[in-house]
Amino acid sequence: MQVQENCTYMTSGAVMPFCKGCGHSNILKKLNEALGELKLDPKDVCLVTDIGCIGLTDALFDKVHTVHTTHGRSTGFATGIAVADKVLAEKRLKTIVLIGDGGSMIGLLHIVNAALMNVDLTVIVANNFLFGMTGGQQSSLTPEHFITQTTPFGNMNPSLDICGIAEASKAGFIARAVASDKDLSGLMAKAIQHSGFSIVEILELCTEHATKRNDLKGSMLAKMAEAEGHKLGILRNDVERREFSVKYAADVQSHLKEMKPPRFIEPIEGHKLKMPVGFIISGSAGERVQSSAGMLCQAALRCGLEVTQKNDNPVTQGSGFSLSEVIISPEEINYTGVSEADFVVVVSETGMKELKAQDIYQRISDKTVFIVDESIELDEVSSKVIKLPLRKMCGGDKASLGALDYVIRNYSLFDHEIFIKLLEKKFGEYSKIFRGEYYLDLV
Amino acid sequence: MQSLRKKVALRSGNQMTAEGAIQAGCKFFAGYPITPASGIYKGMIDMLPLNGGIAISSPDEISALTYCVGASMRGFKAMTATSGPGWALMIETLQYALITETPVVIAVVQRLGPSTGGATQGGQGDIMITEFATSGGYTIPVLYPTNAKECFELTLKAFDWSEKYRTPVVLLTDKEIGMTTESVNYAGLYELSSAERKNIRNSDADIKKWKMYGFDSPDMITKFANVGGEVKVTATGSAHNAMGYLKKNDKETIATLLHLEEKILAHKDEMVEVKKELQDGADTLVISFGITARTLKDAVKLAREGGRKVSSLIIYSMFPIPEREIILSCDNCTRIVVAEENISGQYRKLIEPLFAGKEVVGVNKIGSMITTMEIAERIV
Repeated sequence: MQVQENCTYMTSGAVMPFCKGCGHSNILKKLNEALGELKLDPKDVCLVTDIGCIGLTDALFDKVHTVHTTHGRSTGFATGIAVADKVLAEKRLKTIVLIGDGGSMIGLLHIVNAALMNVDLTVIVANNFLFGMTGGQQSSLTPEHFITQTTPFGNMNPSLDICGIAEASKAGFIARAVASDKDLSGLMAKAIQHSGFSIVEILELCTEHATKRNDLKGSMLAKMAEAEGHKLGILRNDVERREFSVKYAADVQSHLKEMKPPRFIEPIEGHKLKMPVGFIISGSAGERVQSSAGMLCQAALRCGLEVTQKNDNPVTQGSGFSLSEVIISPEEINYTGVSEADFVVVVSETGMKELKAQDIYQRISDKTVFIVDESIELDEVSSKVIKLPLRKMCGGDKASLGALDYVIRNYSLFDHEIFIKLLEKKFGEYSKIFRGEYYLDLV
Repeated sequence: MQSLRKKVALRSGNQMTAEGAIQAGCKFFAGYPITPASGIYKGMIDMLPLNGGIAISSPDEISALTYCVGASMRGFKAMTATSGPGWALMIETLQYALITETPVVIAVVQRLGPSTGGATQGGQGDIMITEFATSGGYTIPVLYPTNAKECFELTLKAFDWSEKYRTPVVLLTDKEIGMTTESVNYAGLYELSSAERKNIRNSDADIKKWKMYGFDSPDMITKFANVGGEVKVTATGSAHNAMGYLKKNDKETIATLLHLEEKILAHKDEMVEVKKELQDGADTLVISFGITARTLKDAVKLAREGGRKVSSLIIYSMFPIPEREIILSCDNCTRIVVAEENISGQYRKLIEPLFAGKEVVGVNKIGSMITTMEIAERIV
């Protein structure tokens, strides 16, 4: 048991809860010194602690903000704190994560992503090569051949080089040290001071589990690391890489003028519908089926109608079928599916196949009008079927649009001029949108 | 031609959720792509920076929610959005938000499960996993809109509850609400607001007796201390005393745990959002929520046209369960129909005990929306 006195950041008279000889006591003492060296206002420091013995830190630091988190997630929470502080608040905080070797692996992607983002936080990995709190089980940072509770014949795996991972993740400041290093506080201070992501791995002894099972002394830690190919000292100190909020200001916030707020429409009285009209529009992915249905909706909306557009496609977005169910109605629309279609538009074989899979023949009546490309074979139906050279005259990508234009033009659902205006805004002069005009006059 | 003098737009539920969050003062969003919730993520990326906030990408759903909780601890309203598979990953951090009493809003846009299920298919199968996601079974407030406009309104409500009661709140929607675009009339939407966080300051009269997780009465919600603020934060996901220090089983720690539930129950009556349409002499009550509640409206209309007397209840505040409103709605009805797009009638099973002596039937299916006829057939 060690008693810390005259501390700035630590609880005065704090009793270390760790086992005799455990490296954690020294790491925390040095962390306190590091904060002192940097002369940080305690209210500008946040310790984010992980699960495990190192997570018992909170009660020991009663002058600074402490956030004790779930296992491995500490760096994730710290990322949120640090990003919010730097981008949305006063940029005052120094956020320091205290995590063990076990936590650093279960939470590895949080560390990797914080490093990639270059968030201003410091991760201190207290590496005692095993899960101490739960009985000394093997972790991913346990060296090869090391004896733990769960590797009684020696660890079969080599240990993870957490600093190497940090390096590959473009971390700006990376260091590896031993808990007994004389200048550990200076090293931690450098890491904390670094603007952007920093990580310090500190090798230490678990006197309850590691030294009892292995021939291990504090003086051997450095050699052990080197035998695993893990170098000691400051491994990288890159001050050129921009910290996240600096990059964000340059790369995103500078573009605010290009961002557009939501736009609205002031509808007109442009229809005489008394009943809802339901469309099923089906074709192939990549042929603008859903966006054409969207233009139908936009036009109907402009004419004062209520609309719903329910899309369907396979999980892939650029292949297979593409389908829209559209309802335009003078009244509120509840059920958004088209259970009895007024118009069925089919512009490709793929679209027809999907419609059959979706029981299309159960969803039509005598009043239904089919608008289909001339190439498509339909089963015999009592509905009206209009075959048009849609693909030939409009191209695959405008076949749905051509069909919808045909419907709006010939069935007086709403003001055709409004639809034309929308088309022209997107594609230029109406008469030149489709390859041929003559089909438009067919009824 | 005459203008109708309305401000309308074609919007998806997901877009309206994003817009509602911005209206609520959300300043932080972290997202991970998942169909059918990605529209919220994209909406926030496109709009949040313009409204003084930041939207970032995360490497997984666990990170997304931890980033949000961290940002909320720093003092900013935060939200993320996901669907079933991502929700499964977020449950760990949801519990952390609950025990640390950190406000955060999570939009869960349901799709067909289990597991990866059907990414582009709807479903209402995540009611149980949304509500009963905590060890200990604490009440997670859940709001469930039925259309795009309500996505806006109830996202504001979700932030409101989250801040008022210092709790994570789930905005539950589904693929059909989230991804279907529809006409939205904006009248009144920009007049809505949601509660601002009450922060503790050194100059406050109650600073001396203030504790991180303190309370004098079951209904008390203690003021929030921001990480980096002038009052020291001691937050922990472990069982803790009122000061926020890890303790095992002492009286104060157990009381602090109990308070997590008591504070919600104490405010239960303020957390009721339902729409009743009761008919005199009705013997059947039809209950639904979300996308199926829209179909319910058509089915009830059809049944009434056929001469049936039928009452309906749409539930928006799924949890805490609005028990009183449900009981009042079924008044003289002898038959209760609960329609939901899942196999086992998840919500029906939860509310069934409220209908002692009455016949309770479910309308259930998976794979596609419940149709008007499927509900109407059960109104016999």
